[in-house]
Amino acid sequence: MKIYLDNNATTRVVPEVLDAMIPFLTERFGNPSSFHSFGSDIMENIEKARKNIAELIGADAEEIIFTSGGTESDNTALIGAVEINPLKPGLVTSRIEHPAVLETAEYLAGKRHPVAFSEVNSDGTLNMDSFENCISEQTGLVSIMMANNETGVVMQVKEAARKAHEAGALFHTDAVQAMGKVTVDVKSMGIDMLSLSAHKFHGPKGVGALYIRKGIAIPPLMLGGHQEKGMRAGTYNVPGIIGLGKAAELAAEHLSDKSGGTGLLLDKLEKGILDNCPGAVVAGANTERLPNTATVMFKGVESEAVMTMLDIEGVCVSSGSACSTGEQTPSYVLSSMGIDPVDANTAIRFSLSRYTTSREIDYVMEILPPIIEKLRKISPYAY
Amino acid sequence: MWKYSEKLMDHFMNPRNSGQLPDPDGHSEVCSPKCGDAMTLDIQVDDEDRIEDIRFMTFGCAGAIAASSALTEIARGKTLQEALRITNDQIIEFLGGIPEEKYHCSVMGHEALSAAVDDFKKRSDNINEHLESIIRKMPEDLAETAGNGNIIIEHVHPRHVSIRLAGGDTESVTTILEKELLERTGRIIEVRVSR
Repeated sequence: MKIYLDNNATTRVVPEVLDAMIPFLTERFGNPSSFHSFGSDIMENIEKARKNIAELIGADAEEIIFTSGGTESDNTALIGAVEINPLKPGLVTSRIEHPAVLETAEYLAGKRHPVAFSEVNSDGTLNMDSFENCISEQTGLVSIMMANNETGVVMQVKEAARKAHEAGALFHTDAVQAMGKVTVDVKSMGIDMLSLSAHKFHGPKGVGALYIRKGIAIPPLMLGGHQEKGMRAGTYNVPGIIGLGKAAELAAEHLSDKSGGTGLLLDKLEKGILDNCPGAVVAGANTERLPNTATVMFKGVESEAVMTMLDIEGVCVSSGSACSTGEQTPSYVLSSMGIDPVDANTAIRFSLSRYTTSREIDYVMEILPPIIEKLRKISPYAY
Repeated sequence: MWKYSEKLMDHFMNPRNSGQLPDPDGHSEVCSPKCGDAMTLDIQVDDEDRIEDIRFMTFGCAGAIAASSALTEIARGKTLQEALRITNDQIIEFLGGIPEEKYHCSVMGHEALSAAVDDFKKRSDNINEHLESIIRKMPEDLAETAGNGNIIIEHVHPRHVSIRLAGGDTESVTTILEKELLERTGRIIEVRVSR
């Protein structure tokens, strides 16, 4: 039995999405930019996909551009927004953003843009005092992720957007991890730009989207073609975009079902772990998290050893850090929350999907406690 | 997952010689500041300076745990001198290879072993010092029972010492020395006497 609990890394393409894509990988291979109907008819399908994404986040279709995924969307938003306004070249973000944001921010800092990183609280939420101190008259863009990929902690996006707007700055959110797991509404949340990626919610890899609110003009990152009104050059990734559109439609259906299946399974897993594994602590335990994510520190046992034993038993999870090439840096997300480096190296991330079953969680709870017990027995740190 | 050999996986899943010794002759605690791994090692050493028992505790990845286990298997039965000559390459060969990125995981065991041997020597030196001091400032009753002859220290071990007596009452010398050593070290140290 293979149990996949690493859905924050990527998710499986569901059959409905694959079925929607196949015609565009086979007989409908045309280029939607072509003059002839063989290609141009496909544009209708692209526009349908665009509409599906817009509906998922409460935007208008014309506010969506297709990209190659979360990383490109983040790069486009950050670089574009700080370069367009020389009077407000500053960027404010947080210490726990995805590397697609963090490294772009560092790149911009290297280009003499004033960049400030807000601290987070010990529960993983944005430290509002630190955040407000980061914002200045120079701030042209604020970028705060909707939910953290490691801990699943939901950030105070609405409040952060309000503070950004008060300072006359734009607000971008990396919603890659939140998409399909919590309801997103760009209008009521005050979001000016939003990044999303298909493969995190059962779509294909290599395709994503960037929402840019009407009225905002930023320069494109990719040059070389008229596609997406010049905002994103490059031949349309037709099968990918169709898959993304279908995934968005299914995600919206899933979100309208309020039975809370994934969240209940996560609660069951967390309770099982806390009751049966001594020394287990959930990161951001008492704060709002995505209904699918739990990062657990099994104090005293190194995470890679746990992952290896779980993998042998057919359970796939991940850890914030990996011991490789002689360096093991504890997860910067957990470190930013003030977690001791030794404890950070014990963190295992369980990320469920809406297709995770109760039986799978039962199986994990059968094999996990003995693994932790076995490793604690030989650990100098187990207390 | 890393490409680990079958033997390495066996030592990870079924580590040999894990745990602690209740009363070790040498103990060490080391950690790798680079990757955060940590290890403790206990050794029990016999009269011929051979490692007769060895136990480890390791916080680390599969490679680190398997390398600790392998080290204890290789070191067991070796004299301290021989054990100190164990190389990383030997550990890796014993495990049937290790991914290059994991090479550093095997280094910690070597450090732990040499630290445990150092600790063994420190403990022995400490007892030697006490013994020398007792003999130097020989209490009257000891001098009498030792027949006022010389007491020569032949061998010192953290759990027992061997001395040579020119004459006197062996049993009484043993009793007095054991009592004095217990008072000074807080440990029961067996005194063996030869003539």
